Amino acid sequence: MNAPMDVDVSYYIVLSTVIFFIGVGGVILRRNPLIMLMAIELMFNAANLALIAFARVWINNAGQIFAFLVITVAASEAAIGLAIVVVVFRRAKNVDVDEVAGLRG
Amino acid sequence: MPSTLTIPWGNADWNAILPLGVVALTPLLVILADLLLPRSLRRSVVLALAALGLIYAGFLAARGWGHPYSAFGGGFVTGGFTIVFQEIVIAGALFSLLLATHLGRDDQAGGAVALLLWSASGAMLMAGAANLMTIFLGLELLSLALYCLCGLAARPSAREAALKYLILSSTASGFMLYGMALLFGATGSVQLSAFAAPAASPMLFTLGSGLFLIGFVFKLSLAPFHIWTPDVYEGAPLPVTAFMSVVTKAGALAVLARFAYAALPQANAQAILVPLWIVAALSMIVGNVGALAQTDVKRLLAYSGTAQLGYVVAALAGTTSLGLRYAIFYLVAYMFMNLGAFAVVALLSREHEEGSHLSAYAGLGYRQPVLAALMTFFLLALAGLPPTAGFTGKLLILASSVDAGYAWLAVILIVGTAISAYAYLKIVLAMYARGAGAPLQRALHPASALPWLGVAICAIATFVLTFYPLAPSDVLPLVK
Repeated sequence: MNAPMDVDVSYYIVLSTVIFFIGVGGVILRRNPLIMLMAIELMFNAANLALIAFARVWINNAGQIFAFLVITVAASEAAIGLAIVVVVFRRAKNVDVDEVAGLRG
Repeated sequence: MPSTLTIPWGNADWNAILPLGVVALTPLLVILADLLLPRSLRRSVVLALAALGLIYAGFLAARGWGHPYSAFGGGFVTGGFTIVFQEIVIAGALFSLLLATHLGRDDQAGGAVALLLWSASGAMLMAGAANLMTIFLGLELLSLALYCLCGLAARPSAREAALKYLILSSTASGFMLYGMALLFGATGSVQLSAFAAPAASPMLFTLGSGLFLIGFVFKLSLAPFHIWTPDVYEGAPLPVTAFMSVVTKAGALAVLARFAYAALPQANAQAILVPLWIVAALSMIVGNVGALAQTDVKRLLAYSGTAQLGYVVAALAGTTSLGLRYAIFYLVAYMFMNLGAFAVVALLSREHEEGSHLSAYAGLGYRQPVLAALMTFFLLALAGLPPTAGFTGKLLILASSVDAGYAWLAVILIVGTAISAYAYLKIVLAMYARGAGAPLQRALHPASALPWLGVAICAIATFVLTFYPLAPSDVLPLVK
């Protein structure tokens, strides 16, 4: 049996940064609110990955507990987000935030 | 041998969060009452229950004055600072309830009031939150309930406001959360108090604080992250807008102040916070210039709120103890003058139309002289003219920012005030303009006694606070 491979923690941080920026890009570039919500989930989960990696570095379980908290909150956020999207687009034919622009900004 | 499970915290910890617990549990009673009572009684009973719960929580919170305690392993800190902010949140929520006589349909009232209270309990958690987890939990509790409340009114703009608020606010939460992860990475702790020690990786710490602050600048709707505010304020139902303009700001400001005063390493605290003062300066200009073009009072108050929160944050510049005291004083003054203006808007509202458009104010000085005079008073207070609390507050902020060596902030504050006077006086002029078309005769709500009560309390408080600079001298030591 092979010994478990040790992966340097910096790889995790780099990966989480990449995921975070994919999320930011998704929110900025995509126009479909469902995709935007998914991109926001990506941002949250990038933070989770960083939290867990740092928890390993510092040998402090607080990071892992925080990640559980974030998962719970993100689930409620997704539930409320989907409900609002459904309410907004119940009568619309397609789903696009550019069509929801009655307010002037 | 049977193993025993010990709970690491005792009565003192639960006592510390008792006010918060009362506000979080009252909604269960509210929902139960909503289920059991006949439709005609429902709204009044629900409002009464919610108000009683809030008042009781306010009493419980005040009882803890002078007994600082760090509960749940440092996750929640009570003491003067926490109590002041909790009382501001409770007062803000109570005033929003006064305006809520027409919030949603009768069958929605219970749910709406329950969500309002849950949101307030999130802000109360933020007021005492002293580690990253409780801050995040409080912020999300506050925001998630508000997303639903924004979409409550039966008009397309409300749904649009809810969607915009959801997407933008969640993105800001994402930034803030990633900032928190980096802060944890830099220091190895989630406790704010542990951040004051030099970080293992200063670069990571600066980056983390930057992202963390962006999240809170968004919640405080400071420029350049204020774009969402006018749209959301316009679309959301009036009581919810009033609630957001005070309670959200109080919660976010509490965390921001605690972070700025207690959680930054002494050596480079000022360097990390400089962008914050620049954002405050920008808000004073952008908020007041933006207010000039508005023809809707709710939108005007949104831009005005951006500028007013800019003043509050400017008071923190240099993180002096006087600055914190004056920031709290100005926040309280802002609560009364701002909610007073919202209560006037509520009084001018009809069943399907909120009295926020400028046309509702044309010739108001002749139709309802008392109401017009009070609205003038609130607007002058927001502009910072004497004899109002807004004047005293601005004077104190000017003094503290000059003292702390931020004279440029004081100059920008004066310039911003000059611009804002024009924006507010536009409404005053409309109210007293003769022959401004045939004035629309607007019937008052039948249930307008409660908003009148709100107007009266806000007017008295705005006047009295002029002469009574708040002096919670023991606020600062309790932040730490």
